[in-house]
Amino acid sequence: MLLRDKLHSDPGFQYIIDALNLISAAGRRALLDFPFLTTPEAVNAELDNLEAVIGVVSVTENLHAVSEIKHHLMCLHDSQGTVANLSQHSVINEVELFEVKNIAYTAAAVSRSAEPLGLKEIFSLPDLSDVFTLLDPDQTGLPHFYIYDSYHPDLPDIRKRLKQLQARTDDPEATTLYADLFAQHNDIQHSVEASLSQQLWASADRLALAVKRLAYIDLLFAKAGLATAWNFTRPQIAVNDSNSKFKIQNPKFTQYSALFNPRLLHRNQERHLRYQPIDIIVQPGLCLITGANMAGKTVLLKTLGIAQLLTQFGMYVPAESATVTLVDDVLFCIGDEQNEMNGLSSFASEIIKISEVVQLSASQRLLILIDEPARTTNPVEGKAIVQALSDILISRDSFSLITTHYSQLGVPCRRLRIAGFREDLATAALSPENINLFMDYSLVEDNSDTVPQEALRIATLLRCDPDLISQAEQHLISEIEG
Amino acid sequence: MPFIKNILSCRSLSIVGLEKNTGKTVCLNYVLRRLHELGVSTAVTSIGVDGEQTDSVYATAKPEVTLYDGMYLITSERHYLQRRCVSEILDLSNQRTALGRLLTARILSSGKALISGAAATAVLAQQIDHFKQQGIQLTVIDGALSRLSLASPTVTDSMILATGAAVSPNLQQLISKTRFVCRLIDLPEVEPTVRTALSQASSGLWAIDSDGLAHDLNIPSVFMLSSANSDLFRYGTTLFASGAVSDRLLKILAAKEEIKQITLIIRDFTKLFVTPEVYNDYVRRGGKLLALRKSHLAAVTLNPTSPHGYALDSHTATQALSDALNLPVYDVMKIESIS
Repeated sequence: MLLRDKLHSDPGFQYIIDALNLISAAGRRALLDFPFLTTPEAVNAELDNLEAVIGVVSVTENLHAVSEIKHHLMCLHDSQGTVANLSQHSVINEVELFEVKNIAYTAAAVSRSAEPLGLKEIFSLPDLSDVFTLLDPDQTGLPHFYIYDSYHPDLPDIRKRLKQLQARTDDPEATTLYADLFAQHNDIQHSVEASLSQQLWASADRLALAVKRLAYIDLLFAKAGLATAWNFTRPQIAVNDSNSKFKIQNPKFTQYSALFNPRLLHRNQERHLRYQPIDIIVQPGLCLITGANMAGKTVLLKTLGIAQLLTQFGMYVPAESATVTLVDDVLFCIGDEQNEMNGLSSFASEIIKISEVVQLSASQRLLILIDEPARTTNPVEGKAIVQALSDILISRDSFSLITTHYSQLGVPCRRLRIAGFREDLATAALSPENINLFMDYSLVEDNSDTVPQEALRIATLLRCDPDLISQAEQHLISEIEG
Repeated sequence: MPFIKNILSCRSLSIVGLEKNTGKTVCLNYVLRRLHELGVSTAVTSIGVDGEQTDSVYATAKPEVTLYDGMYLITSERHYLQRRCVSEILDLSNQRTALGRLLTARILSSGKALISGAAATAVLAQQIDHFKQQGIQLTVIDGALSRLSLASPTVTDSMILATGAAVSPNLQQLISKTRFVCRLIDLPEVEPTVRTALSQASSGLWAIDSDGLAHDLNIPSVFMLSSANSDLFRYGTTLFASGAVSDRLLKILAAKEEIKQITLIIRDFTKLFVTPEVYNDYVRRGGKLLALRKSHLAAVTLNPTSPHGYALDSHTATQALSDALNLPVYDVMKIESIS
């Protein structure tokens, strides 16, 4: 599973990925092809590299060397085709030879700039000086290229004669002679290209590796830049006691303090609204999350999913501190999958997705995030479905979080309630815009099996139609009494 | 010799043919030869892709361009590989064209090359800037007035227009067509403040109010404009059309009672696809036309031979055209033989 497969899981995740500032096309490809890492060793190795780069970038004295490296990365051309041609033992032309020389030049230049930064080991660029020398017979040291005179004994003379013929502009015979001579010149050029190509076939793997490493360097700098600019933290990876990822003796947990959702945070900052980061511990099994509307339940699920993805794609996370247990996949069941074009109603797509989750959780450790399951069908069956889903997920090895408005589910699992609406803080009249100011988004362990009922209270404070509200209250009373 | 001195004060020059076979490439070759003789550091590229070796319509042999040592060239990969000169690749861009990526090369030994370039004005502008920064005195762009070209030759400071019997074998028609284009080329430029105000206007029809602010009229295309649009002038009578302007728009505007107050701004003369009749009518009724950007017309060249084999009398034609345009006109076929 690659990053490109998870890119559209959530707009908040995509927002972060889009913000990564990659310089080269190869770097962008490396980002999208980045694998979802599932072992602590792999994740930590990646995070170690990232930490080293962040350390380097944060030192002012290093800025010059860092910008040199970035400048070299800008000159990295999209040479996939050329390297592939060499791997297949084809003859490459002078433009492609130029590309090869450039790869060698860029690799050497970046390596040189990286050395005083202590990053040479991490970058581990292969030595391509032999390739560069082959393509730089006149020892110019420059990344330019043509079929130099030195490549063939006949070239200097032919070129001299071409020059002389070119000067005879009024002589029609000269034009024909020029054409013939140039054809000979091209034959020699082609033979040199063939010879150089053959000599380069053995280096195709090293060239491919160099491009791959340069792309990775581009990616590291992009990740480092983002983590620093957005105040992300390195997640600690919870290590299992047993080696098997399916049989966890002492299952660990995932914990975040001051977890935030960057897309939402930035949006709120633009609108001068407050933003409240969350502390949370996620345990294996099921956790039900309740709370009034607009209390941030959905955002919480999304943010947990984002942080997990970032961790397992080797990035820092949006929190002050984090301990993360790795999973095999992150499943988001959030948002309306209604799609009239596919002929699927909201409920149909939803129940299909829930069914997939249930089946996958039998054999994999997952992070499962489900927002208000079965809200699109009648409450009686809906509640039963949520109870069934809960029964199953409680006993699974996965981390499942379900938000719901259903009360008295009778399911023995952990419950978290979002503190929610703080009427005591409401000093001004309420409106959809300012209600955020009076919301406490923090999580409270809730041992009761009931959900908060603040809907009508909030509707009243929003100055909704008084008839509507009093009628609803009437119905509530008769329901309770009846 | 004749007009080269004019050109030297500019940093960029485009050579634009009114039609195919008007001797544009002959003119380009002449200019490059003279620049080389004068020791002017030069870069050469082209607008878009126009590189058939024989003209596919008339099957007349299409000469390639002669480049001299020390010159810089931007062309596509495929054309580069077909060159007949010795040159060194300096850079490869990620700009793709139908003929591969664009590359920059330095000529080491004179010879001929096919030139193809970026089809976007912004890219050309960047290339010109880049060459300026490298200390290159003049960037020459092989231009095109084709409707199909996305890029405008007005990206350069100055321009040479190539006309000829290919435009019309009838001298009077040739003169009137050429004169019309020259009039369009000569449309005055807007004030810099107006250009700034319109910098965000990328599509559709806009208006500039009396405070100099630009407003999107939300008319994405002139085809959605009917004579009945009564609120067209709600922000005033200064309008900007960001895309191509055809007879249709000018006719609609000419029919308005506010015509004497109307000023229509266009990006540049290449966006005006109008007939002289409709244009003259619009102007006669009091309408004004301005361009966001214009190039200085440095010279006009004439190719007296048409691809059908017909030839105008060189002296008569150049003299008559020159009188009509009030500009020197050169027979491009004779220029080449002037040393």
